[in-house]
Amino acid sequence: MAHEIYFDDIQVGMEMPSLVKGPMQKLQHVIYAGASGDFNPLHTDDDFAKAVGMTTGAITHGMLVMGFVGQAVTGWIPKKRLRRFGVRFAGMTRQGNTITITGKVTDKRSVGGENVITCEVMAADETGDVKVSGSFDAALPKKG
Amino acid sequence: MADHSKVGREYAPVTWEVERGKIRELAKAIGDPNPIFQDREAAIKEGYKDTPAPPTYLTVPMMWSSSMPFVITDLAINFMMVLHGEEEYEYYQEIYPGDVITSAPKVTAIEEKTSKSGRKMDMVTIEGLYTNQRGEKVAKARSLLVERK
Repeated sequence: MAHEIYFDDIQVGMEMPSLVKGPMQKLQHVIYAGASGDFNPLHTDDDFAKAVGMTTGAITHGMLVMGFVGQAVTGWIPKKRLRRFGVRFAGMTRQGNTITITGKVTDKRSVGGENVITCEVMAADETGDVKVSGSFDAALPKKG
Repeated sequence: MADHSKVGREYAPVTWEVERGKIRELAKAIGDPNPIFQDREAAIKEGYKDTPAPPTYLTVPMMWSSSMPFVITDLAINFMMVLHGEEEYEYYQEIYPGDVITSAPKVTAIEEKTSKSGRKMDMVTIEGLYTNQRGEKVAKARSLLVERK
């Protein structure tokens, strides 16, 4: 799905194609809990979540939102080119939130025989509240 | 609060067999339609040996093996007060169905910080290097847990 992208074709400032996910539903939290093995009731049980101060009920697994960012990244850059991917969980994602993932290339360089790009990534809700921010490195082929 | 004396502690290695169905299940749970994670032929066509593990796959062995909950308990961290602060992966090669991957999580740092609102927090860093059945390095994972006090 992600077609080959060449180092030569990437410029600093270039934007990653954005991806929209959601609106978030508790059913997806339940499915993700089963897939990932993270059964913390904070993500699947509204009563539990409210009891620990989440007024809107169960919140989305941070790792699911990181998964959305991973989907955006590997929908653009082939998975096999990815060298590093790191995020900070900046805010809680709630049921009903629509999450938009964006990214921008911040650096390109040749190191140790590899041609590496760094791209900042971000996931934010419909009000612009940032849920996840981070970056990835990918080693891309050169033309010719 | 997190037991600061446990910095440097390495836990028993987790060994995990990577299954095609679990890779597909994780991609479907995320809602990622990329066929390389779900269809072996599509993955091969794009230069993979099989359906590769998605970028966040390494959360699966950590959670399903109960390794991360065990570490949190051993560090005397209050489950009710813990938040996932950061997660980072370095990828050295693809992880494929049939691979058997092993990692021993290690506590590399515990630091106390004060939030903007004046609340004290323990920042706990846990790292794990993953190797495969051939002893080759496949990835490194770093998790930052935040315990509100």
